[in-house]
Amino acid sequence: MSTRQGFLERRYFLLRRLHSLTGIVPIGLFLIMHLTTNSSIVWGMMNKRADHSAHAVSERGVATFQEEVNWINGLPAILLIEIVLWLSIAFHAVFGVYYARTGRFNTDRYRYQDNWRYMLQRITGYIALLFIFYHVATLRWGWSWLVPGGTTWDHAYASSTLAAALRGSADGNVTIGGVLVSLFYVLGVTSSVFHFANGLWTAAITWGITISVQAQRRWGMVCLGLGTGLMAMAWASIIGFATLDPRKAQIVEERMLGTHAPPAPEATPPPAESPPEP
Amino acid sequence: MSAQPSASRTPPIAGRRIRIKVKRADGPGKPSRWEEFEVQPEPNANIISVLQQIAANPVTAEGDHTSPVAWDSGCLEEVCGACTMVINGRVRQSCSCLIDDIAPAPGDVITLEPMEKFPVVRDLWVDRARLFHNLKRVKAWVPIDGTYSLGHGPTESAAQQAVRYVLSTCMSCGCCLEACPQFTLEDDETRWDTTFIGAHAISQARLFNMHETGRQTKADRLDALLGPGGVSDCGNAQNCVKVCPKEIPLTESIAAIGRATTLHAIAQWFSGR
Ligand code: SF4
Ligand code: SF4
Ligand code: FES
Repeated sequence: MSTRQGFLERRYFLLRRLHSLTGIVPIGLFLIMHLTTNSSIVWGMMNKRADHSAHAVSERGVATFQEEVNWINGLPAILLIEIVLWLSIAFHAVFGVYYARTGRFNTDRYRYQDNWRYMLQRITGYIALLFIFYHVATLRWGWSWLVPGGTTWDHAYASSTLAAALRGSADGNVTIGGVLVSLFYVLGVTSSVFHFANGLWTAAITWGITISVQAQRRWGMVCLGLGTGLMAMAWASIIGFATLDPRKAQIVEERMLGTHAPPAPEATPPPAESPPEP
Repeated sequence: MSAQPSASRTPPIAGRRIRIKVKRADGPGKPSRWEEFEVQPEPNANIISVLQQIAANPVTAEGDHTSPVAWDSGCLEEVCGACTMVINGRVRQSCSCLIDDIAPAPGDVITLEPMEKFPVVRDLWVDRARLFHNLKRVKAWVPIDGTYSLGHGPTESAAQQAVRYVLSTCMSCGCCLEACPQFTLEDDETRWDTTFIGAHAISQARLFNMHETGRQTKADRLDALLGPGGVSDCGNAQNCVKVCPKEIPLTESIAAIGRATTLHAIAQWFSGR
């Protein structure tokens, strides 16, 4: 006990700065990539190079997201990357909660915008922690008992199983449980994005990168812009998947699983296609 | 005579009676209570002169005799910081707070509370010892004591003087600590070295680190600010800079010390022991 406290105090500065750093790399960086991938369900609709089996515009979103997921799953040492990420999040969370508990909110007296953000930074941190845990546990670790409808996410059926998890049902309906999950997702990603964008702003002060009030304001504009963009991607992702019919998405995914079999369909058209014309 | 031609200011009504609500406590650790007084302020009166009126006639608005309200003050011109208290929910100096400005109409109410981040001595009077203790943590002085004359110090550039001058106007009043969500009341003196040091001390560390002779002890100051309760404990709520009566750019000082500690820690890592 005493040695542990001794370590925490001796390495106080290092741990505080690691806490700040892990929020940006790898967590923040991952957040940007993750939201880019997930919002492909929306921007993928404009993706002309999406899998050729996706004809309709909405199918292109499903196909693009599937391709993104396949690419990520093909990365070398993906499990190692994931573990580094999970450990970083755990570290950032444990120390974040510990540090947050040293302060006492006083927005009732000092109603400044910065003070509200100070409070929100801590509250969104708690929400993001709960949300990320739920998100990873259900969709990555397969704790399907926490998902209304019991969906397990499957990377080969990336869109359909995600849509089913958000809707609380795989059969094209939306259940009450699904609505609650989707709303929790909105709250969770909104908190996460705010926490990241605002944290990026304060990190520049913490590290002494922005010193003058003007520099802090300029960097604030950059963080606001980044946060707005990420927020748009985050909401687009949730709306995109929550409004997606899992059955239709599954048809695209199955076609892709089939067409990704060795013989390239364009080079040798399957002979089965010709007979039906009488 | 209109001393302060402020456009938004309501002209004070002469001879008005106003109410002063005071949060009182009989001594350290004693329970607090509210008492209300009715006074007829003199023109251009400040909070202190109204408190003097109450002391001369300590009778509450309900007509009950009570003890005189205790407060602390010194310079009466906003340079010593002793009279700092929470007035209408905001921390500021009571000597520079004019009644005509904040209670211009009959029946206006002014609430007075002691700062809550420091232990109460009695009523509105608090003990700011921890604030001075925290200045000692960062050696907020220039080391000139010795057995022989050190001679003249190096010349300071005008540009640097301009930056340092405003930092030097800190009067150790404690407003920045009172408004800071990261600075909380700490009765246990043994914890004063490891709890948040506060914006004033961070800013003073910057002031003396920039001083041509003071920079000789720069490493000591930065070492103190690296540890528990140092600059990392600031949560960037930026309340301090908004309540500082001397308009000291505290958040710039915090960032400047953030940079200095970053560089100091890197240098330590590569060349320290
Ligand atoms: S910026 Fe730091 S020192 Fe200033 S009020 Fe906020 S937490 Fe306190
Ligand atoms: S920095 Fe400002 S608010 Fe803080 S003690 Fe000094 S003068 Fe008072
Ligand atoms: S009495 Fe000195 S600042 Fe008010």
